[in-house]
This record gives sequence, structure tokens and C-alpha cells, in this order.
Amino acid sequence: MNRLLGSAATRFYLKRPWQLFLAITGISLGVAVYVGVDLANDSARRAFELSASLITGQTTHHLVGVGGDIPNSLYQDLRLKHGLQLAAPIIEDEIRLTQAPSREFTVIGIDPLKEPSFRGFSSFVPGDGTTLRQLIAEPATILAPESLMLELGLQVGSELDLIFENTQKTVQIIGPVTEISLAEEGATTPIVMDIATAQELLDRKTISRIDLILSDIEAEKISSLGLSGVVLVNANDRNSSFDELARAFRINLTALSLLALLVGIFLIYATMSFAVIQRRKTFGVLRAIGVSRNQLLMGILVEAFLIGSIATILGLLLGHQLAKILVDLVLQTVGDFYFRSNVAAANPPPWLYAKGLVLGLGTSLLAAAAPALDAARTSPHAAMSRSALERSALKLTDRAALFSIPIMAAALALLGLSTRSLFVGFAGLFFIIAASALLVPTTTRIFAKVVEPIFEYIFGIAGSLAARGVSTSLSRTGVATAALSVAVATVIGIGLMVNSFRISVEEWLSGTLTADIYLSTEADNAITTSQIEAINISPGVLGTSVTRFTRIPTEIGEVSLRAQMPGPQGWGVTVNDQVPQAIEKLGSNQGILISEPLAFRRNLTPGDELYLPTIQGQKPFIILGFFRDYNTNVGTVLMPLEMYRTYWQDEMVNGVGIYINPRADRNNTVSGIRGILGNNSTIRMRSNDFIRERSLSIFDQTFKITEVLRILAGLVAFLGLASALMSIELERGREVAVLRAMGIAPRQIGILTLSQTTLLGLASGLFAMPLGIIMAGLLIFVINLRSFGWSMNLELSSQPLLLGLLLAVTASILAGIYPAMRAVKSGVATQLRDE
Amino acid sequence: MIHVENQIELVNIQKNYGPHVVLSNCDLSVRNGEFVVVVGRSGSGKSTLLNLIGGLEQPTDGTIKVSGNSLTNLNEEELSRLRRQKLGFVFQFFNLIPTLTALENIRLPMALNRINKKETIERALSLLEEFGLSGFDQRFPEELSGGEQQRVAIARALAHKPDIILADEPTGNLDLDTANEVLELLNRTCRQRGTTLIMATHSKKVIGLADRVFSIHGSDLNEAIM
Ligand SMILES: Nc1ncnc2c1ncn2[C@@H]1O[C@H](COP(=O)(O)OP(=O)(O)O)[C@@H](O)[C@H]1O
Ligand SMILES: [Mg+2]
Repeated sequence: MNRLLGSAATRFYLKRPWQLFLAITGISLGVAVYVGVDLANDSARRAFELSASLITGQTTHHLVGVGGDIPNSLYQDLRLKHGLQLAAPIIEDEIRLTQAPSREFTVIGIDPLKEPSFRGFSSFVPGDGTTLRQLIAEPATILAPESLMLELGLQVGSELDLIFENTQKTVQIIGPVTEISLAEEGATTPIVMDIATAQELLDRKTISRIDLILSDIEAEKISSLGLSGVVLVNANDRNSSFDELARAFRINLTALSLLALLVGIFLIYATMSFAVIQRRKTFGVLRAIGVSRNQLLMGILVEAFLIGSIATILGLLLGHQLAKILVDLVLQTVGDFYFRSNVAAANPPPWLYAKGLVLGLGTSLLAAAAPALDAARTSPHAAMSRSALERSALKLTDRAALFSIPIMAAALALLGLSTRSLFVGFAGLFFIIAASALLVPTTTRIFAKVVEPIFEYIFGIAGSLAARGVSTSLSRTGVATAALSVAVATVIGIGLMVNSFRISVEEWLSGTLTADIYLSTEADNAITTSQIEAINISPGVLGTSVTRFTRIPTEIGEVSLRAQMPGPQGWGVTVNDQVPQAIEKLGSNQGILISEPLAFRRNLTPGDELYLPTIQGQKPFIILGFFRDYNTNVGTVLMPLEMYRTYWQDEMVNGVGIYINPRADRNNTVSGIRGILGNNSTIRMRSNDFIRERSLSIFDQTFKITEVLRILAGLVAFLGLASALMSIELERGREVAVLRAMGIAPRQIGILTLSQTTLLGLASGLFAMPLGIIMAGLLIFVINLRSFGWSMNLELSSQPLLLGLLLAVTASILAGIYPAMRAVKSGVATQLRDE
Repeated sequence: MIHVENQIELVNIQKNYGPHVVLSNCDLSVRNGEFVVVVGRSGSGKSTLLNLIGGLEQPTDGTIKVSGNSLTNLNEEELSRLRRQKLGFVFQFFNLIPTLTALENIRLPMALNRINKKETIERALSLLEEFGLSGFDQRFPEELSGGEQQRVAIARALAHKPDIILADEPTGNLDLDTANEVLELLNRTCRQRGTTLIMATHSKKVIGLADRVFSIHGSDLNEAIM
């Protein structure tokens, strides 16, 4: 008996290879999407952790001098008086090389004995134990950056001539330094030497900073000592730009993995349940001839298990590959080889695959069991009736729609909470998507009812038949249309978000980049005041803005400082939240502006005071407002250059914006400026257009991952719908045959079937539009804000919306082609013959 | 004798399914308005014969003419038009469209022939009344009994005023009393309208009502002598 049941099931699939193909592809794609995104997320997370620990080592804090260096004695005091053993002195300075005289290089002096416990203290790994010991033992020895050795053709044992304040000293290379950093602008890998060698070569008695490993209590104690001239800085904040990147990457992937989970469940459920629902009648008959409920259920579960296992294993393999593609795609933006190889080398833990296995098999079994249980429970006669099935499907969709109300309420409650928790934000987003998915079948039904008269008008009674078919086959199409809607809404939502983001970045760029040409330098005193004055009066130049960029340690971590003398077109900032007359007050040195991420992170409001360490000690500055800033660093403080110079006694300039008269000849003007600057290779000259284009292309590259998402969504939508439509077509075979006997031409049958699937696509596409807008809003106003403190406007550009609709309709038409062809070709006589 | 063009003419028909010969050397001529019954055991080939006449299947050999058209010369579109305009089908399992009401099921063939909506409704309602189904117009097939469903199906087959009705065991799924009512109805309405009726059945009850009776035995089709 059981074997007969088995061969009945086997033959069912052998006779419908397409159905088997769809079931297997559907399940494996569902597993693959979920596992792929999850694996990518995990390997990225662990690689980031690995890289981050290499970079910061175990250093928890830095002690940094406010006005510059720290006396040697302070280090001695820390160790002897305050008993801090885990402290490492660091010297950092700039030198030149005779081999490359135009550039400046950073040298770092370390205490190699301390090195093992600190591991790294900046974004590089100095040599191994032997070379570190050699550093101490042998005078005038250094470790050189790999890239520098490569560039200058140096080997271990080569000699190098350092120029420091006009004196030249020869040192010997005894090993390489490995670079692991995500190079910040201007940051270069340093030349490493022993701290004693550094003090001797650089002729100094002071140190630049002290790296510390402190517990929270110790940190507290140090702060309370009130050591003069130094500030304790959190080590994590120093690497914040690295952290931000890691976070942006992970948040993107987390959003994607939530979606992948939903879509995976939908797809598996849809494909597996179709295969079972279709044989409802057969199950009814089997029950009628005495197959017991449990026998029937077991049979179906065994079948689902077999198909589910094959498909899940395929899905795991596919997901493994997908993860590689996803990681690669995201890492293109990182461009850091060390980091990349870390991600590639990270071996995902087996339980991630186990999760995929559970999802694939579990959902397959559940999807098969639900209709099977239903068939087993109802009386054999009712099981055979199609209308009974549709009636219960109808009841189910109504119940689902009702159930979506509390879920939606929960989502709104979560989003309404005055919390900044990202997790809560994601939970709210997830609930909104889930609640909407539950609403889809009911709205589809309503939509079909609304358009039925239109269809009848165009196609006659056959058209109304097609429209009605949509709502009477909800048992098959409900889940598929829900999956389609969610997938399309996600594409729309992310499209709108990226578009809005891009528009905001463009606005921000044109608000910030008001000058035509920018000069920048990392070298000290490369741009002189007399040069700036000369540029100001040079022909074709309307004026200049002058900026000093620097980083300053504060009690809330390190911040970027942008001290500026505004040019003819103002400060180049978009200020969103401000005290009255903020810009005027800024101009008259009454306060500062801070960037939105800084304000959000530190929970500051306009009018608050921010303490900054000046030459005269900690001084309060009034926050006049927040300006937009999409740089991923901790935060930026903007103040008038005059104010900065008063408080910090620093006359340096490292950025000049030049405004050119639009009527002047640009080339002449530029060569005039070049003449003034002379042949100084440390000064970079870049045009407004260049910076804007480069920034936007980096932006576009970063969001390339959304294209993969679009393709995945399209595939998911297509497969889910294709299997749903196939099963409807198989079920409607007899109906189609009757219509054919009544004289409907095959071509008309094809049109009818296709118009039906188009209707489904249209319904889900239209539903996806508002849902997509809601998702974009949540991503912008909740997720991005909570993650980065970035504010942006929601721009309802039509392109993502129309693209989404097009995706839904195209996927459904494509999915409908094969069923339509089958309907056209099916033998009428065979279908009509009594079963 | 005046030569009357036969409405249906099968000459030397052969129908095989692979090696299995269902019909061979069959000839059949049916005149306008005749009621012809085809009897035979289950599996003898009655449905096959009706499907051949309806153009739903192609003969292996021989020619079939229906209302002056040679079916083998027609393409799918032309066959569809012939069925739409000239033929009506009644099936053993009623085969009403489950998503259409009784009224709409009857309107369907008229709508397919592009008869205007108002007229289709009027005609469908009058057929329902004639068949004793007034008030059932808004019911869906699942809300009707077997006999009622078959009456709607007959109304549907007649609605567009076809020349020929092909009924394949129309009473096979009904109890005896209902079966007799349905037969009575088919016979009466076809005769009133002058519609040709070809009915396959394996019940011998119908024989008294028919003009001529054919039986299929082996693969031969023979006219039974009454
Ligand atoms: N598609 C088919 N392939 C093979 N054999 C068929 C097919 N359709 C019908 N037959 C065979 O043709 C014979 C006649 O069938 P049918 O016309 O349905 O008989 P009836 O209607 O008299 O019961 C049967 O033996 C049946 O097995
Ligand atoms: Mg038959």
C-alpha cells in the first residue's frame, strides 16, 4: 500500500517535470538567498573584528598632549607613581627621504618590549619578535613599509637617508612593516624604529603619546588625576572611520538578511505547498478508499522531506557561492587588500549552514503538512471539492488580513518608541513588512473585483472569467503574490532610499563645494599666507576660502575640526537645526557648528555647550546649529578660522578654496595659480567637478549591492509566480477544455491566461508601491538616522516606483508564458475525457 | 428522390490510438433535425466518435463533413469558429464553469458569438424559465443539484442556437428519474428548434425517443434495426 502511494507521488512528478523543477529551484533559491546573505554577513563581521583587533590591538586608551608633546617624565610617573604597567610610549613625527625629497613620511618610535601586549597601535603590524629585538639592540635600524620598499627598490639590509630639520642621517632597513589599514586621507604607513633611536635621530626629549590598556576603573582614576596638558582619549574613537565603514556594511547586510529570511520562507512555502494542494482530490479519494489520516500525512511528509533535502543541499551550495559574490561586491568599495583577504579567509561556522538546513527542510515540511493536514482532516468528499478548498483559502486570507492589524499596531508602537535602538528600528521594519504581506491576498482579491468590469468590457465575458479566476485561485496565488509584493516593495524601497540619499549627497556636495578649485595639503606650512594673498589678487580669481583641518582630542572622543575663513559664497554648509541667526553668529565668532552625526551621537541640541581642549585648557563653545555631513567619521566641528587661531595659536592652512570669475578664462587663471604655488608636489589641486564626480562614483559603487538585490527579487518573484500559475493552469485544464469545446480559439485562451497573470503582477506591483515608499521612509528616518545620524529627505522620484511596477508586471508575464503555452497546446479531448 | 445534403457525413473513418484501433471503416450520415443515438459498451469508442464530429480530435483516416465544411481542411481557428457557431456540447459531468453563475454560464456561448449583452441576458433568462430554473440565475454551479446543473448545461448548449448538439452520456451521472427528465427535455427542445441531436449513451432507455440508433461493436459502427 505504502509503496503504491510512493509510486503515485513519484509518477505525479515524473509526469510534471516542470513542477518538480520549480519546487526544487524554488526551495533551493530560498535557502540560497538566506544562507548567502547570512554567510556574507557573518564572514564580514568576523573579518572586521579580526582587522579591528589587529589595528587597535588591545589598546583601550591613548594619553595625548593637548598642546603637542608629553614630557618623558610623565611616562615615568605613570609607571612608577601610578603603577600602570600596561603603558607604551609612542613618538610620531614627519621626516623626508633623500630618495624622495618632495614627500613627507611618518616615523614612529615604539618600545618593542611593550609591543607584544599592545600588538598594533596604529593601522599597521610592525615586524616579528626577532626584528623587534634587533631594533633595540642595533643603533640606527628601522622597519620600512612594504610599499615604500617596493617603490624605491629597497631590500632588507638596504640603507636609507632620513632628512630631519636639515640634518641627514643614514639608517639601515632590517625588516618590513605590513600595512593593514583602510588608508584615511593622507594617512601613510609609518617607518618604525625603537623609541630610543627615534629620540636620538629626531633629537627630542619628549614623546607624542602614551598607549594604555585600562579597565574602566583605571580610566576613571587617570581622568580624575587631572594631569595637566594631557587628555585621555578612547582608543575605539581613534579608529572610528574604520568602525563606521564596518557598521555601514553590516547594517546594509542585516537589512538584506532579514528580507532574505522572509523571502526564503515565502518561496519555499509557495513552491512546496502547490505540489501538495494540487493533489487534494487524489488525497480525498485515497482517504475514501481507506488510507488512514496518518498514513496519508506520513506519505506526504516523506515526499516533502525527500524533495526538501535535495533542494536544500543544492541551496546551501548555491548560498555559499552567493556569499562570495555579495562579499566581493561590497568589498569593491573597501579596496583594502589586507581586509579583503581576511574576509575571504574567514571560515563560517557550521551552524550557519545548519540554520539554512532547518529553514529549507522545516519550511518544506510545514508547507506540505498544512494542506495535507487540511486534506486529512476534512471529510473525503469535501477534500475532493475545489470550491471547499477555495472557501477555506478565502477564510484564511481574511483571517490573515485581520491578523495583520495587531502586527501593524505592534510595528507602529515599536517605531513610536522614543528609543534610538537600531534593533527596535529593524524589528519595526520587519513587522511592517510581515503585516503588509498578510494583507496582499485580500487586496489582490479586492483589486480583481474592481477591475473585473473593465476586463469584461475589453475581453467580454471571458475577460471577467480571467479576473474572477484571480480571486478564486487564491489558495495557489495568495502566497506567491505576497512574496512578489514584498520583493518588489523592497526593490522600490531601497531604490527610493538610495535615490533620496544620492540626491541629498548631491545637494550636500554642491552646498559644500562652493569654490571652483580646491588646494589641499598634508604637509605643514606648504601653503603660505603670502601665496594666498597672491592668489586672491591674481587675474580671474574672485576670492578664496581658507581652511585648517585638524583632529582634536575631546572628552567625548576625537573630533575633526574644520576652522574656516569663508569665501565669497559663504561657509559651504547646509544647516538644518539651529539657533536664530546661527550663520551671523558664526561669522561674528559667537559659537561653532557641529555635524549632524556628532549631534545625534552625543545627543546635543542647538544652544548646548561643547568643551574643547584649547591651548588655554578646556573651553566651552556654544553650538549654534547642526550641518549636514555624510563623511563617515565621528563628527566635525566647524568654527571661524579667527576663533581657532586665537584658541590654538596655530597659523597653519591645509585647504584653500578658490572662486573663479565665470567670465574669466579658466585655463589662464589656473596656470596663474600654479605659477604662484611653484613646483610644490605636496599641494594637490583639484577641481570642484573632479571632487563631485569622484564622490558620487564612490557613492554609486557603495550601493552596487542593491543591483544584486534587484536581480534576486526579480528571480524570486518570477519563480514564486511561475509555480503558482503552473498549478492554476494544471487545475484549470478541464475548464479550458470546456471553453475550447465551446469555440474559444487557442490564441484567445493564451491571451486570457496572460491577462490573468498580468493582473496578478499589476495587483502586487501596485500594492508594492506604497509599501516601498513606507520602507524607504523607515530606512531613511529610522535606520539610517539611528545608524549614522545622517539626515536626508525622502525624494519620491518616479523612476524607482515605475521600475518596481515594471519588475512585477514583467515577472508575472514571463511567469505566465509557459502556463499560457501549455493551456494553448493542451489536448481538448484528453482533458474532457471522464477521469 | 430528392437529394438532401446531409448535415453530418462521415466517410470511411478510421481512428487509432497507437496500435489500438478504436474505429475502422465507419460511415455515418445524419440529416438536419435528426435525433441519432450511439450506443455501445464503455470503452467502445462513443466519445471518440463525438469528439471526431466536434473537431476535438482528428481521424487517422477518412473524411468528416459538418454543415458543409470538411473538418480535415480546417485549421484550429476555423474549427473553433465552427464549434462556436454551429455546435453545442453536453457532457456527462456537466462541466459548468465553477466561477460563473448559472446565468453567466448560459450567456457564455452567446457572448463568444458577440451577441449584445442585453440580448444574451434576455435569452438566458427565458431559457432558465423554459427549463424550470427561474430564480436560479444567480446561483453558482456548486449551489445546484446534479439535475439542475445538467439542465443549465443543456441551456448553455442551446443558447447560441447551434445546428447540432453533441451530448456525451448526458444522463450517465444522474439518478433514473432525473435522467428521464433531462432526456425528455433534450428531446423536446431539440425537436422544437429543429436542432440535430447526437447522443452517446449506453442506456437503452433512449432508444424509443430516437430517430435512428447506431451501435459500436469492436471497431464497427452499424445502424441498429428497430
Ligand atoms: N488518448 C488516448 N490514448 C489511448 N487510448 C485512448 C485515448 N482516448 C481513448 N482511448 C481508448 O479508446 C477507446 C474508446 O474510448 P472512448 O471513446 O472514450 O469510449 P466510450 O466513450 O465509448 O466509453 C478506449 O478503449 C480508450 O481506452
Ligand atoms: Mg465516453
